[in-house]
This record gives sequence, C-alpha cells and structure tokens, in this order.
Amino acid sequence: MDTTEVTAVLARARQGDSEAFRTLVERHSRRAFQLAFRMTGNEQDAEDVVQESFIRAYRQLGRFEARAHFGTWLHRIVANCSVDLIRSRRARYDHASTDTLDAADQPEVDAPNPERLAASAQIQRTVAEAMSSLSPLERAAFTLRHYEGRSIAEIGKTLGLGTSATKHSVFRAVRKLRAALEPLRGES
Amino acid sequence: MTKHYSEEDLILYYYEDRPRTADFQSHLDSCEQCASAYRQLSATLRVIETPTEPERGEQYGLEVWQRIRHQLPEQELPWWSAWFRADRLAMAGAFAVLLLAAFVSGVWWSGGVTPARVDGVAAPSSPKASADDEARQRILLDTVADHLDRSERVLTDIMNAPAGGDISAEQRWAEDLVSASRLYRQDATDVGEHSVALVLDELERSLLEIVHSPSKATAANLDQLRRRIDAASLLFKVRVLGNELRERGQQHGQRPRALGTQTS
Repeated sequence: MDTTEVTAVLARARQGDSEAFRTLVERHSRRAFQLAFRMTGNEQDAEDVVQESFIRAYRQLGRFEARAHFGTWLHRIVANCSVDLIRSRRARYDHASTDTLDAADQPEVDAPNPERLAASAQIQRTVAEAMSSLSPLERAAFTLRHYEGRSIAEIGKTLGLGTSATKHSVFRAVRKLRAALEPLRGES
Repeated sequence: MTKHYSEEDLILYYYEDRPRTADFQSHLDSCEQCASAYRQLSATLRVIETPTEPERGEQYGLEVWQRIRHQLPEQELPWWSAWFRADRLAMAGAFAVLLLAAFVSGVWWSGGVTPARVDGVAAPSSPKASADDEARQRILLDTVADHLDRSERVLTDIMNAPAGGDISAEQRWAEDLVSASRLYRQDATDVGEHSVALVLDELERSLLEIVHSPSKATAANLDQLRRRIDAASLLFKVRVLGNELRERGQQHGQRPRALGTQTS
C-alpha cells in the first residue's frame, strides 16, 4: 500500500468507514501484539491490550492528525493501554508473569549445555519477577527503552511524561533490575 | 581530584541517550573505577533479553478485526466540531425556524400592523408562516428519526454483546441519548404525537436501564436488558417509527399532511 492509498484509507476510516478501519487493523495488529506482549509480558493480556487499543483508536480517530503516521499514533495507544492494564491487574501480575518465561520459551544460544540452559532460565525468571516489581510507568519506560530502542524524548511523548520524569523512570527500573540480577552474576 | 561518572550517566551512555563523546570514552579508558562500573552495568543489561513473543500468523489481523468489529464505538469528534454535529445543527435550525415563526405570527396577529397585501387584496393567510411551520415540522421529524436510528444501534449492540464484555461505550452512548429522548418525548406530547411519545418513553426506560447496568455486564444482566427490549418489541418499533418519520419528513416538503399518523 503506497502513501496515497494509506492516506485515502485513513480519511475513509476517519469518516466512520468500518471497512477502511478493518484495513488498518489487519495491517497493524501483529506489531501491536508484539509491543503489547513486551509491555505486559503475558499473552492473554497482550491480546486484551490489542483489542482495547484498536477500539480506543477507532473512537479517537477524529483526533488523529492526518499528517501523522498511524503506526506511531497506534504505538502510543498500545503503550498507554498496556500501562492501564498493568495498573488494573497489578495483583495478578505478582503471581502470573513468570509463567510466560519458562526455560522452554527461551531462545537457544550456542547449543547450551543443561547447566547453562538452567542458568539462563533462572536469569529470565528473575528478570520477569523483577519486571513485575516495577511500577507500571517504570516498566513501560524500560520496555520502550531497552526492548523497543526508543529515545528518551520518544518515550516521554508516548507516556505523556517530561524528559526528567522519563529518565528517572528508566533509571529506577535499571536500578531495581540490577539489584535483582546482581546475585546471579556469579552463577551465569 | 578525578570526577567520576554517576550510574545515571552510565545508563544514558549505554543507551546512547548521552552523546558518545571522545571525552567520555577517554575517561572510561583511563579510569578503572568508572570502567568497572560500566562493565558491570552493561553486563547486567545485556542479559535482559527481549522476550520472544508467541507467533501470530498472517490471519491475525483478520482475527482481531472479527473480535472487535461488533464492539466499535461511535467516533469522538474533535472538540471544535462538537458545535457542528448534525443533530446540534438540526436543533439550532429548528430553534431558528421556531423563532422566525414566532416573530411572523406576532407581526401577523398584532393589531397595529396591517397584513401584507398582494395586488391590493389582503392575503387570506400567511404562506410564509405556513412554509415555516412545514420546515419546522420536517426538521423535527428528521431529528427524531436520526435519534431513533442512533438508539437502534445501541439496542442492537446490547442485543449482540458478549456476556462479561465491556459495555461502557454503549452506556456512554445511551446516556447521551436519554437526555435527547426526554426532550423529544416532551415535544411529541406537546404537538399531540402521542404514539411517538409512547415509543420514546419505552425507549428512554430501556436506555436508562442500560446506563445503570454494570459496565462488565454478566449474562444475567444482559438477559434482563434483552428481555425488556424484546418484551416491548422495542427494536421493531424504533425501526418502524424511524422509517415512518423520515418518510413523513420527506412528504412534508411536497404536500401538507396531518401529524397524527399512528405508530405503535
């Protein structure tokens, strides 16, 4: 789809054309799921975030500026939906987020021996637990910085934070993760 | 005394949010304390791997669409366009027509003013006032028909809502419609459109019930709402009345017709 077609589809979607919006959903769903999964660390929550994000996007399409990129705008909505969901399901995350990162899910690196695999799984479990202990904003800021490679300015814009608050969210997240992972450094 | 970099500086440096200046690099090359802190930091951050998300196939977008297509809410308009919404324009138009009609009637009936003459003969009635009435009636009929269309969509959404799903969007929508419904019902009563007022009254009760239901409606909540809608044949009545009012609105532009058509 070229730029002209994208613009036309967006214009139709903004006028309430649901078929045009369907095109946008089909085009952006996988990327939205990827981000939602990284943000929430849970498959079912990521699915919920994707659905809620598209519904929110549809409702707010009238506010979308035509000159902006829909993917960027949607990225922001997905990130904020994820923060909302993490906030609302905080208690559940305390128990469940480690489920998604068992040893079998981890990518293999240089045909690891059982000890190394076990150590890697232990690290990833610890990371998952430590991520669960972060505040929703710390987790979101860290995910966008570390996994998504977004700049501090982009993260601030996405989450509606100032530069200083964004930096401090990342700093606090790194500090907490380091504290959780330091004991494992000798073992890995 | 040598100045050492803080953990925050090192984090920004690691993520390249701090310019990788020659000064910084040469400091790391020469200061074992900072170099060691940086090595530890980067070693820790490197073990935090990007989680591998579960695979989603080519059809995933279509699956998402199938899940959300019946939940799509009404689009919010930009704040400035709120003043240009069709229903508000219609209301404003109707109000302007009413004002004009009131002014023309006042002029016509005031004792000190002679009715306009055409070719030296007093006009038997005011064609302008009559045209204004026609226009006013047509606008009101169209406005109520639009209101019924929107209400029908909310009722249909509720009839098709999944148990345990979030109906807060429909509730907000219903809330907006309740106040409009109340005004239209009063207008209909005032002009003797009792059958219209009756349907609007039933509609208002169902909308209120939707508004006051839990936003995560259970199967029992939804069943109760649906039974009320079904018991009053409300969807059918709303659809038929909407069509009828729209037809009458169109006919008003062509020939005069009494308001008392019955719908129930």
